[in-house]
Amino acid sequence: MTTLAVENIVAGYEKGLPIVRGVSFAVAAGEIVTLLGPNGAGKSTLAKAIAGLVPERGGGIALDATRITAPAHALVRAGIAFVPQTDNVFARMTIRENLEIGAAVLPRPRRAGRIAAMLETFPALAARPKLPAGRLSGGQRQMLAIARALIPEPRVLLLDEPSAGLSPALVAGVFSGIAAIAQQGVAVVLVEQNVAAALGIAHRALVLVEGRIAHDGPAPPLRDGKLLARLFLGRAEGAEAA
Amino acid sequence: MNPQFLADGILTGALLGLGGVGLTLAYSILRFANFVHGDFLTVGAYAALVVAGALSQFLGGSGIGPFSFGWPLIVALPVAMAITGALALLLDWLLFRRLRRRGEEIVLVMASFGASLAVRSLIEFAFTPEPKYYSRDLQIAMPLGFGVRATPDQLAVVVLAALAGIALHLLLTRTAMGRAMRAVAENPELARVAGIDPARVVRATWWLGGGLAALAGVFLGLTVQIRPYMGFDLLLPLFAGVILGGVGSVPGALAGGMIVGVAEALAVPFIGAAWRGGVAFLLLLAVLLVRPQGLFGMER
Repeated sequence: MTTLAVENIVAGYEKGLPIVRGVSFAVAAGEIVTLLGPNGAGKSTLAKAIAGLVPERGGGIALDATRITAPAHALVRAGIAFVPQTDNVFARMTIRENLEIGAAVLPRPRRAGRIAAMLETFPALAARPKLPAGRLSGGQRQMLAIARALIPEPRVLLLDEPSAGLSPALVAGVFSGIAAIAQQGVAVVLVEQNVAAALGIAHRALVLVEGRIAHDGPAPPLRDGKLLARLFLGRAEGAEAA
Repeated sequence: MNPQFLADGILTGALLGLGGVGLTLAYSILRFANFVHGDFLTVGAYAALVVAGALSQFLGGSGIGPFSFGWPLIVALPVAMAITGALALLLDWLLFRRLRRRGEEIVLVMASFGASLAVRSLIEFAFTPEPKYYSRDLQIAMPLGFGVRATPDQLAVVVLAALAGIALHLLLTRTAMGRAMRAVAENPELARVAGIDPARVVRATWWLGGGLAALAGVFLGLTVQIRPYMGFDLLLPLFAGVILGGVGSVPGALAGGMIVGVAEALAVPFIGAAWRGGVAFLLLLAVLLVRPQGLFGMER
C-alpha cells in the first residue's frame, strides 16, 4: 500500500527556474526507494521539496492518500522526516538536547519514552548524553541525526546522502540500520551518490536526470552497473545533442 | 584600586548583561543588529513609571523597608515587561517581518535605526526631556565592608539581575521553547525539519528580548534616572558586551556586559568619568581584532 505519493512535482529555489521538473513516484510502507543520478540532477532538491524546504512550484505530495503541504515543521507533524546531508545535528547542543528537540512535536507524555527507545536503538549515543553533538564522530553524528528524525515515529524517512564523509565500514553500519528502519514499516527515500551501497539495500531505484525520472524499476538489475551507466550517460548525451 | 569602583561596575555590568541578552538573541535568531533595542530599555522604564504612578493611588506611594520603591513599582515591573515585549512584537509585525522576507540584513538594520529614532522622539514628546524618578526619596548608601558603600536599591538590582540571569539560563536549557530558540539560532533550516515553527520562535524572541530590556530599563531608572535617551546612550556598551561575549551566546552576553561594566568603572579613576564610554569602544576594537568570535562564541 502506498504511503508516500509524489505527484508531478515541480520545484526550485527561484520562480521560473525549476530544478525538479515534474516527478512522480510512490513509496510503500517498508519499501526503500533510492534516488540516483548524476551530480546536479536534482536529487537533493527533490528530497528537500518533499520535506517542505524548497518551494513547490507545481504538483504535490500525499501521505496515506491525504494531500499534505508545507511549511516544513507541519510536515514533520504529519509524518515526514528528513535528514539533511550536512549540518544535520545541532552541534552546540548536547546529544540529549538534540533528541529532546526531535521529541518536542510529540504530546508531552510520550516524549521521554521515545527518547529512551532511541537511546536503546543507538547505544553509542546513550553512553554520553551530555556530550555536545559537535564533538561526535561522523558516524555517530549520522546516527544522532537519524535518531532525532525517527523520534516522532514518521511514516516516511527522507535521507540525503547518509553515506557522505563516512568510511566504508561505517557506511555498512548506517545502511544496515536504514534497512532495519524500513522493516518496521517506514517508507524510506534514500538519495545517494554511493550507488553500490544504496542498491545493496534498496528495493527500487529511481534514476533522476536533469530533474526528470529517467528510470524507475527494481533495484537488483541495476547492481551490475552497465544499465546504470547507460542511464546516467545516455540521457546526458541525448540532452547535449538536443 | 578602590573597591567602590568595582562595586559600581558590577551594577552597570548587571544592567548591560540583561540588556545585551535581547540584542544577542535578536542577532542570532532574527539575524540583524537591532538598534531599537536600546530604546526598549527606555520604553520599559517609562512604562513602569506610568503604571507605578497610576497604581500608587491604590497601593500607597511609600517604599518598602529600606528600599525607595514600594508595591506600585513591583507590580508595574512585569506590566512594563509585557508592554515592551508587545511593542517589540508590534514593530516586528509592522516593519521587520516584511523586510525579513527580502532577506537583506542591512535594510533591517537601517529600519531598526529609524524605528529607534521614532520611538525615542515619541517618548521625548510625551514625557519631555526632563529626567524623571520612580521616587524622590533620598537613599543613604550603606557600608558593606572593604570601604564599599551601596544603596539598598542598588543591592536589590544586582540580586534581581542575577536571579533573572539564572531564570533565563533555565528557560533556555530546560524548556522546549528555550531549546527551540537555541536550535533556530544555530541552524534555522534543520530546526524547521525538526518540527520547530520559526514564527513561534520569532515571537518568543521578541517577548523575551523586550521583557529583559524593560527589566534592565527599570533597574537603570531606579539606580540612575529615567531619560528619553537612557537606553540609546547604552547602545555602544551593550553592543560591546554582546560582541565581547560572542554574538549569539546568551552566557556570553551576560558575561560580556559584566566585563564592559566593570572595565568602564575601573577606568574612571585613571581617565575620568567623562571618558568611560570610550572604554567600551576600546574593548570592542580589541575583541574584533584579537578574537572576532568573542569569548564564548564559536567560529562559523
